[in-house]
Amino acid sequence: MIFDEPRFLPGGDTFVLVQFGDDARIDLNFMALGLTAALREDRTKGVIDTNPSYNSVVVEYDPDLIGADDLERELRRLIEGLGPVEDLELESRLAYLPVMYRDPWTKACVEDYAERIAPREGDPEFVARINGLEDAAQLARVHSGTEHWVVAVCSTPGLPLMVALDPRCAITSPKYNPPRTWTTLGAIGVGGLSTSIYTTPGPGGYNLIGRTPVPLWDTQARLPAYRDRVVLLDAADRVKFVPVEREEFDYIESRVADGTYTFNVTGYQRFSVRAYKAWAASLDASERF
Amino acid sequence: MIEVVKAGLETGVQDFPGRYGFWEQGFPPSGPFDMWSFRLANLLVGNADDAAGLEIQFLGPTLRFESETLIALTGATMAPTLDGVPMPQWESVAVPAGAVLETGFASTGARTYLAVAGGIDTAPVLGSRSTFHMAGVGGMEGHALKDGQRLPLGDRAGAGRPGRRVRADCRPPIPAGKEWRIEVVAGPNDDWIDEAGQHMFLESAWTLQARSNRTGYRLSGPEWTFAARATDKGPEHGEHPSNILDHGYPVGAVNLCGQTPIILVNDGPSAGGFINPFTVPSAAFWKLAQSKPNDVYRFDLVSVADAQAERQRIDALCAEASLEDAG
Repeated sequence: MIFDEPRFLPGGDTFVLVQFGDDARIDLNFMALGLTAALREDRTKGVIDTNPSYNSVVVEYDPDLIGADDLERELRRLIEGLGPVEDLELESRLAYLPVMYRDPWTKACVEDYAERIAPREGDPEFVARINGLEDAAQLARVHSGTEHWVVAVCSTPGLPLMVALDPRCAITSPKYNPPRTWTTLGAIGVGGLSTSIYTTPGPGGYNLIGRTPVPLWDTQARLPAYRDRVVLLDAADRVKFVPVEREEFDYIESRVADGTYTFNVTGYQRFSVRAYKAWAASLDASERF
Repeated sequence: MIEVVKAGLETGVQDFPGRYGFWEQGFPPSGPFDMWSFRLANLLVGNADDAAGLEIQFLGPTLRFESETLIALTGATMAPTLDGVPMPQWESVAVPAGAVLETGFASTGARTYLAVAGGIDTAPVLGSRSTFHMAGVGGMEGHALKDGQRLPLGDRAGAGRPGRRVRADCRPPIPAGKEWRIEVVAGPNDDWIDEAGQHMFLESAWTLQARSNRTGYRLSGPEWTFAARATDKGPEHGEHPSNILDHGYPVGAVNLCGQTPIILVNDGPSAGGFINPFTVPSAAFWKLAQSKPNDVYRFDLVSVADAQAERQRIDALCAEASLEDAG
């Protein structure tokens, strides 16, 4: 549900969690990202950092500069200034990311888990089956048939949490239990309603359906895209996955290795919530690609 | 330069307050775990607040100073010697060129802080020299020190002098035993735990597991019970009562993963899908930093205002007035 009034929940002495609702409807993320953008523009005194997610934003503040009550008042002022969610227009770049679906590396990672921790079938086949799709090939078609909305960049550096914008391409799947102890770098994972891309080789719980050869963050500026930024994606950006086969994957990987890979990220669009909702409402969500 | 003769168990470069402004891109703050001890070490050698130093964890390093300088060791007791002679902690000490500092196991406390006049001058990454080793960011080549490395030092600009000491009543009171009382603030997800469960958390003894580090502090204790909203919820929140739709995590969150509470600390994840019924406030972090596996925590519920007042009290102690001339 969408709360009538946003909730302000304390997180210790320097954080407050602002909650707009308690589920995953995308309007709540639009509100969270609207508030994040408003805080950035407002340069509210005492606000140190922000951390948006599905239906909330964690705001970190310096209690020497602003009290909890004053902060809440400032946040309410900014939220009121956003107006109705349909009026929101968010800066949104579109990034084209190459992905090899059913790649050998994530397959090996899943097989390692199946051998050492708990038996399971291949992840793409599993996700296709429980979503009523014909096979893993259709899963790739459906997954690459939509723009994915970046809900948040979180957990580890540059890691995007994304949802499908096209309701015909929505897929859901349960996460690993127990989680994996390691994950292929660049793995494309799906879990719950989300898609993510593993940006560090750490543990994880999403089902692995493919792999991208391109890095999503770089503090050393090895690639031109990272000369003036550290992570590729920001919340409110969109990602379109471009399926590639092994030969193309290897070629892109070599361009990344020699520092000449050029990302394709467009930067001329704003995302209109009203226009998006009108378009989404016009579709038959039961259709599949 | 400082030559790392032996690196110790896990010794890393940190600066105060750590790496800020990149949280919404997935970078945690990092920085010194016990910022109270860390700041006092910089004060002792006349450094600015933001000068980088070393965080020395559990088993200390052996370091050789290539040129003459001024150093101070604060935090956990580590039986330091300089060229074989016992060296005082909480005190600024002149170091001749070529001198070797040896440190041992942490006895009282777990983390010792070394400040060197001028600060450690590794390259800042995203505005901070702090080490975030999980992602290989900051510090010395992104990770803890390794044997044989050489640490660059900044220019000595401050007016530090040897023989300055932190007054005993201005140091963090690290207990010699295993028992700790740690402040917690309720929320953000305290309403997912029923009254009995909240009572259980605050009344029980919690043992710190060995699998704890600068990412998270895992605790062992009794079973949690949950409020109705933890079980009666939409499928987007996940299956287990401790699961919630992904949300941002405050630093210090008592993050409940199934039945295991994990206190998320300086290098922790910025978000995830578990509830945070309580949060350890910033002023209690020195206690986490100075405790060891198998130590026992009991939690005291405090208000946001009380937690902020304690933070101010500690900040005020990290000041010149806390220093005296060593007798």
